[in-house]
Amino acid sequence: MIQHTIGLLTKPGAQWRSVAGLPTSSQNILVLYPWLLALIPAVAWYFGTTDVGWTVGNGPAIRLTYDSALQLCILFYFAMVGCVVAVGYFIHWMAGTYGAETSFAKGIVVAGLTATPMFVFGAAGFYPLLWVDLLIGVVAVSWSVYLLYLGIPIMMNIPEERGFLFSTAVVGVGLVILVSLLVTTVFLWDLGAGPAFTDV
Amino acid sequence: MSELNAALEHSTYNYKVVRQFAIMTVVWGIVGMLVGVLIAAQLAFPILNFDLPWTSFGRLRPLHTNAVIFAFGGSALFATSYYVVQRTTQARLISDKLAAFTFWGWQAVIVLAAVTLPLGMTSSKEYAELEWPIDLLIAVVWVSYAIVFFGTIAKRKVSHIYVANWFFGGFILTVAVLHIINSAAIPVGLTKSYSAYSGTVDAMVQWWYGHNAVGFFLTAGFLGMMYYFVPKQAERPVYSYRLSIVHFWALVAVYIWAGPHHLHYTALPDWAQSLGMVMSIILLAPSWGGMINGMMTLSGAWHKLRTDPILRFMVVSLSFYGMSTFEGPMMSIKTVNALSHYTDWTIGHVHSGALGWVAMISIGCIYHLIPVLFGKERMYSTALINTHFWMSTIGTVLYIASMWVNGILQGLMWRAYNDDGTLTYTFVESVAASYPGYLVRLAGGAIFFGGMLIMAYNVYMTTRKDVAAQPLPAGAAQGSHA
Repeated sequence: MIQHTIGLLTKPGAQWRSVAGLPTSSQNILVLYPWLLALIPAVAWYFGTTDVGWTVGNGPAIRLTYDSALQLCILFYFAMVGCVVAVGYFIHWMAGTYGAETSFAKGIVVAGLTATPMFVFGAAGFYPLLWVDLLIGVVAVSWSVYLLYLGIPIMMNIPEERGFLFSTAVVGVGLVILVSLLVTTVFLWDLGAGPAFTDV
Repeated sequence: MSELNAALEHSTYNYKVVRQFAIMTVVWGIVGMLVGVLIAAQLAFPILNFDLPWTSFGRLRPLHTNAVIFAFGGSALFATSYYVVQRTTQARLISDKLAAFTFWGWQAVIVLAAVTLPLGMTSSKEYAELEWPIDLLIAVVWVSYAIVFFGTIAKRKVSHIYVANWFFGGFILTVAVLHIINSAAIPVGLTKSYSAYSGTVDAMVQWWYGHNAVGFFLTAGFLGMMYYFVPKQAERPVYSYRLSIVHFWALVAVYIWAGPHHLHYTALPDWAQSLGMVMSIILLAPSWGGMINGMMTLSGAWHKLRTDPILRFMVVSLSFYGMSTFEGPMMSIKTVNALSHYTDWTIGHVHSGALGWVAMISIGCIYHLIPVLFGKERMYSTALINTHFWMSTIGTVLYIASMWVNGILQGLMWRAYNDDGTLTYTFVESVAASYPGYLVRLAGGAIFFGGMLIMAYNVYMTTRKDVAAQPLPAGAAQGSHA
């Protein structure tokens, strides 16, 4: 699986074509890909928020308690996987409109592989300096969007012009899921899963 | 100007007023967004306030909102509604003189706003800051607009009234009612007045107006644009005519109730807040009705989409419309609002609608209109439209993403408290923490503004009689113009 990660980051076009060329059974195994890669940001942010911490202005370093960080990072892990699965479902659901044949599994595979840069750059959480992480985040998201527009026509075996509209629809769905995630987070915080900080 | 353009006059329709408003859309877009970029820079670098009252953030911010909403958005609405109502009713505007009055009257309102707001003359009502003499002028111009629009519909040569006109008509009527009721005030001098309402009632009237300025000025009117120009550019019929009528009535019936969500956790009675929240959530359905109809209309135009950057503007604007009309109902939920209210999340939400939806659909429509109005086959440069498209998209995404981060950050910092009940952070600490987000927002806004400059150049070159359009890139096509 790791060769897909490196491939998508170094020679994305060729890598998408090689994934598209895999037999269905080997392709479906890649459903596990997001489960594995989502570990990177979850673990990184656990260490980043507990052992490293961040500062606001000239204040002392802010850290989360280990219990709180563990709870949040587990929720974070499932949120990431959940979002990939949700986007994957919508890719599968919309595919008919764009004349592509898919399965739920294939949708998840496309969504998971597309998110590769975000998973990998999630390692920035080891050092949670806000403006650095913001910049890295922007780069990671742009990269993922690029992978999406590149990969959809290849994986779905449809002409590029249809792929453009399909990809745009996926971005639209992704934005809506992102907002849902924000809102769910606020609800969970309100229900008691909010972050607990260490006493300074 | 009239002699120069005599050759451009259409035998049946009044294109002159459409042309004037279309050009002013580009001009005011640049002015309004330039002020926006300046005040975004002021938040990152306060020294840019120059220590002068006239250039301070507090006075320039209403100038920015008025310029982009009423000058840029308003001119786009006037241009497109006058064009669409003539084309779809096959009748010339009922009065050329009255139409010309709406143009010069509206420009006068904008210039007066640009003078009075930096001088600090304000009613202090958000999006209705202009003082009473200007409000009176707006009312006169707007009633004239309604007479021209509905008069033209009355003398139509086809029995059917196309759905775009329903949206334009609904927008014109409702904005007239909203403006006149909300601007009711007791003058105490030429430049100062006090609202006719007091306390909580004043706040509720203000946000009844304020949210419907969004709902009718910035949504219904622009949906009218969408219903004419998207099918036209895609050369396909509207996906579902029935859906368009159903979501028109649902939108009109529900939007008017949503205002109280601006006043969550204030002195407004709790039941009114909850009612506003419920209506805001229901509003998702009619909002998405419009998005689905637009998207499905575009869905068959595969072959054009790749090469026609105008269609791309329309597709992406509908995506942002769908996203922001989902985000809005979510933010109106009290639990979410408790965190998001007064933070940059709100500013990000407004701009996903304003940049992503309103500006991008307007830009797409203006690119469609300019060649028609100036007797050209297509815009001067298709490549530059494409560059503009990418600048707008990237600028909008940077803007929204930075405001999401800032909003969550501010919301969390403001509500954090220590074991003894004292606040963990001072307000200024949250400002300091927002600094990187302000920089990214400034970059996003500047990129979007840069795209408008490219548009202005492209429009100028298209209007010149002595310049021919540049050859199309290989395989490219720009939608044909009738």
